[in-house]
Amino acid sequence: MVDPLASLIVGFIIILFLIWVYLPRKGLLVRLKRSKKNTHRVLIEDSLKHLYNCEYNGINCTLNSVAGNLSISADEASKVVKKLEELELITSHERGISLTPEGRAYALRIIRTHRLWEKYLADETSVGEEDWHIAAEEIEHHITPAQADALAAQIGNPVFDPHGDPIPSAKGDLPVKKGNVLNTLKMGEFARIIHIEDEPHAIYSQLVAAGLYPGMQVRMMESSKDRIKFLANGEEVVLAPLFAKNVTITPIKNETTVKGKFKSLSSLSVGEKGIVLGISKRCRGQQRRRLMDLGVVPGTEIEAEMKSIGGDPVAYRIRGASIALRKNQADKIYLINE
Amino acid sequence: MNNRMMKMIDANKCTACPVHNVGNLKKLGINMKNYDYVVALAGNPNTGKSTVFNNLTGLKQHTGNWPGKTVTRAEGGFEYNSSKFKLVDLPGTYSLLSTSTDEQVARDFILFGQPDVTVVVVDSTRLERNLNLVLQVLEITDRAVLCLNLMDEAKRNNIKIDERQLTKDLGIPVIPTEARQSVGMQDLINAIFEVASGKFVCKPYRFKSKSKELNYAIEKLSQEIKEAFPDIPNATWVALRLLEGDQSIIEAVGTGELGNIKQVNTSLEEIKLKVESI
Amino acid sequence: MNKTNGHNNEAILSLANNLRWEIGESFHDKLMESIFANATTIAQKSVTTPIEKPTFSFDRALDRIVTSPVLGFPMMFLILAVIFWLTIEGANVPSAMLASLLIDTFHPILKDFSLTIGLPWWLGGVLIDGAYLAGAWVISVMLPPMAIFFPLFTLLEDFGYLPRVAFNMDNLYRRAGAHGKQALTMAMGFGCNAAGVVAARVIDSPRERIIAIITNNFSLCNGRWPTQILIATIFIGGAVPAHLAGLVSAGAVVGIAVLGIVFSLVVSWALSRTVLKGEASAFSLELPPYRPPRVLRTLYTSLIDRTLIVLWRAVIFAIPAGIVIWLVSNITVGGESIAEIFINWVDPVSLIIGLNGVIILAYIIAIPANEIVIPTILMLTVLVTSMAGVGSGDGVMFELDSVTATEDILMAGGWTLLTGINLMLFSLLHNPCSTTIYTIYRETKSVKWTVVSTLLPVVMGIAVCFFLTQIWRLVVGN
Repeated sequence: MVDPLASLIVGFIIILFLIWVYLPRKGLLVRLKRSKKNTHRVLIEDSLKHLYNCEYNGINCTLNSVAGNLSISADEASKVVKKLEELELITSHERGISLTPEGRAYALRIIRTHRLWEKYLADETSVGEEDWHIAAEEIEHHITPAQADALAAQIGNPVFDPHGDPIPSAKGDLPVKKGNVLNTLKMGEFARIIHIEDEPHAIYSQLVAAGLYPGMQVRMMESSKDRIKFLANGEEVVLAPLFAKNVTITPIKNETTVKGKFKSLSSLSVGEKGIVLGISKRCRGQQRRRLMDLGVVPGTEIEAEMKSIGGDPVAYRIRGASIALRKNQADKIYLINE
Repeated sequence: MNNRMMKMIDANKCTACPVHNVGNLKKLGINMKNYDYVVALAGNPNTGKSTVFNNLTGLKQHTGNWPGKTVTRAEGGFEYNSSKFKLVDLPGTYSLLSTSTDEQVARDFILFGQPDVTVVVVDSTRLERNLNLVLQVLEITDRAVLCLNLMDEAKRNNIKIDERQLTKDLGIPVIPTEARQSVGMQDLINAIFEVASGKFVCKPYRFKSKSKELNYAIEKLSQEIKEAFPDIPNATWVALRLLEGDQSIIEAVGTGELGNIKQVNTSLEEIKLKVESI
Repeated sequence: MNKTNGHNNEAILSLANNLRWEIGESFHDKLMESIFANATTIAQKSVTTPIEKPTFSFDRALDRIVTSPVLGFPMMFLILAVIFWLTIEGANVPSAMLASLLIDTFHPILKDFSLTIGLPWWLGGVLIDGAYLAGAWVISVMLPPMAIFFPLFTLLEDFGYLPRVAFNMDNLYRRAGAHGKQALTMAMGFGCNAAGVVAARVIDSPRERIIAIITNNFSLCNGRWPTQILIATIFIGGAVPAHLAGLVSAGAVVGIAVLGIVFSLVVSWALSRTVLKGEASAFSLELPPYRPPRVLRTLYTSLIDRTLIVLWRAVIFAIPAGIVIWLVSNITVGGESIAEIFINWVDPVSLIIGLNGVIILAYIIAIPANEIVIPTILMLTVLVTSMAGVGSGDGVMFELDSVTATEDILMAGGWTLLTGINLMLFSLLHNPCSTTIYTIYRETKSVKWTVVSTLLPVVMGIAVCFFLTQIWRLVVGN
């Protein structure tokens, strides 16, 4: 008979080992995958993407900005740029580096895959918002254009990614850039967020944590060198100017703006009624479509009908039917505040 | 009950009328080979669509008080006035505008399968919500019948529905039924027959948007579509689908197949295969 | 198709793309809003609803009771308890009748018949002792409880009570990353896991549906209850004073079932946060109005759609298992049957997880049907210990009416209290039966999820038995 203590120890060691290998984010498997990431091709594709972004935003790109963006040394960056020149994907000149038509097409292919994948993760999976960009950064180098097209077909050929960026078409078309950064908005003016830049990740996660998302309506309250203060869907948000630069807005006319605060569906108590104003953009993909199919659209009257035993979910009367919604869903449905 | 009595009296009065001649109806189950007309059955989940299907075909599909129970058998048949009808039960969906497989199968069948009649079964107690699907179906096809099912429940809840007004507004026959009690099925069959044979010409309601932006885009696009494909009756629907990025429509437009839609007549199986392969 | 036309088509597609960029992301939202606005206009013209709400509505009143914090849960447990009680009590008599008819009466008749027509002994063994017996066993154990359980459950479903149960249970299941309707598929799983897996169709959110399918096996199915009750009576009941035996062993069986529920919640939680992140999740639960159930129609459809289909599949899978059982115990290599060779070979390994070679072999060849695990274990134990005077011969499964006689056989096979407990745990935590595995594949159409749902519980079972055994030996000694 095997000694029980010894086998117990062996058993625990095996379990610890498995945890160490498979742990999400920190496990050995994930780390191995990540270390493989910085291959030659990945560097080339990432720098093309960076160069394209410069061009789209009308900024000049240099060797240093490439090195900074890819977090590699200037020495390595110059090697990459040299390689790109040999492949005739870019040309260098005294003002900096610019893309050749081939280079631009290549960059657009990568960007298309990246944004499609983000859209896919946002709409068709339960992957959290903070992981979309990281996952897309990885997958964009491994998907062929044909696979990307198949993915696009499957998710309804989207034209915008979840951050509000346009997705290039399969032929490489992209609309002209619209909108301004949040900092340019004057006091008292209304605007809608159309894009939140997802690079660098540290700033992006701050913006997400502040509850900002494309489609949100904002009203500027104070814009100074030290801070940008504004109302976002009625809630006050304060950002450092550096952070606000990563938010793109488009001004909207006053008339379409919702005045004052509005309440969420979850604030209704049983027996109360309300008129739907809209569904938050944070509610995406299948969930959003399901709600609309059930009749949760602007103008619908909803009555809170009964609570389940635990208080969540709550059944609502929506266009003649009893539909149970969880609190985190009802939070994302806005009602007109009378 | 009263309703049924009335019908029996009616039947006695007019034995020669095809409407009331029960003997003209033959339930064919799944033994369908040659048929004259294809009838598609659409509807929201939990509206008694399967009960209507079973009632018409004499099949016994399982039904339950749950949305979305039907999964198996999708085809059956019946014979009426010596015309054979093939009945195709589409997946129950709330809408036809989303990316789910069920909705894609349903809308592609109505568009590419070219059924002679599409029967939309709705829950009379939730007519407003169900009209969402009805209006979408009417964008795709000209020939439809509205089956106001669960009228018994509506009566119990004191809901009254003016069928004539509804017929006038929607431009298609509206038939109140209680499929669980087999009430109104004769009228439904007759309406199907009349639409299929062209005795009743539908003037389907087409929806109007209040958003200027939307109207501009839809009109501009459907104009182009009408020019390229002058024969198709539902350019607005095609425009809507293109604006939603529907792959099967993009392909049909790209290859020009859309223009030949009249001759295609795809079966439900083919559509399912096609949808699953995407 | 001419060229200009083709060019037009391309132009249409790129016009559509540009328009989409212009409108922005809100196209679908605006479209839905417009359609519903139209629907409202039309409906207002032709629908008249009562302006004053009726002071009393049956649905409302019933809903108030069903979702009441005081009465809701007791009522739910009471209804479930009544269903289970009706199933177990009601199934006893017909099960015994079927068993005496198919196994005690027909089996000897068939045996005699095969001798009279001069069938070779091995062919008679394979067909009658193997295939026929396994099929008969599955029918007599499975048919009566399913024929009672499923119609009762379907009646509640048709009436509209089950969606309310899901509504009340959702709070718990949401925390585990699952859907409230999983409470129902789980309850269904207590009848039969394959039926529970099929029932997961009513969950319309992809991620939650797969969770419900994978964890359904943690519901102790009808085929496993007899094993639990028998082993609990012999080993757990035997370990406590006689006057407590009944209560304690019943408590142990219920404890195992509750443990299964706990496992299903924990596994749901873990799955939703790891491997199933890649699946979409969209919750909505419609509470249909109460409808009077149509009893006869329900009886018919639930018998045809659920009971007979599931039973048929089970029989189809059990028959080859019966043949294999007979063959492994009758084909000999060097004087020992294949079964004995295998048992001796895996015995040392299986002792580490507190089981024995017989149990492992029984679980491997009885994958098709949990119902035949105990008969197979008994037959194999007799075969290995070469007991005389019990059983009906090599490869012929049997069961004994007397619990003490069963105990004698198991004791002779070297079973201890630890073996009993481990068998109960392993019976809860092992791969689903092949009917269920096949059903999982049909429902998910995915090899990946089928493999996960097959291997996950068996790995968990081995791990749980292993750790329990080692700790037991440390604390209690052998």
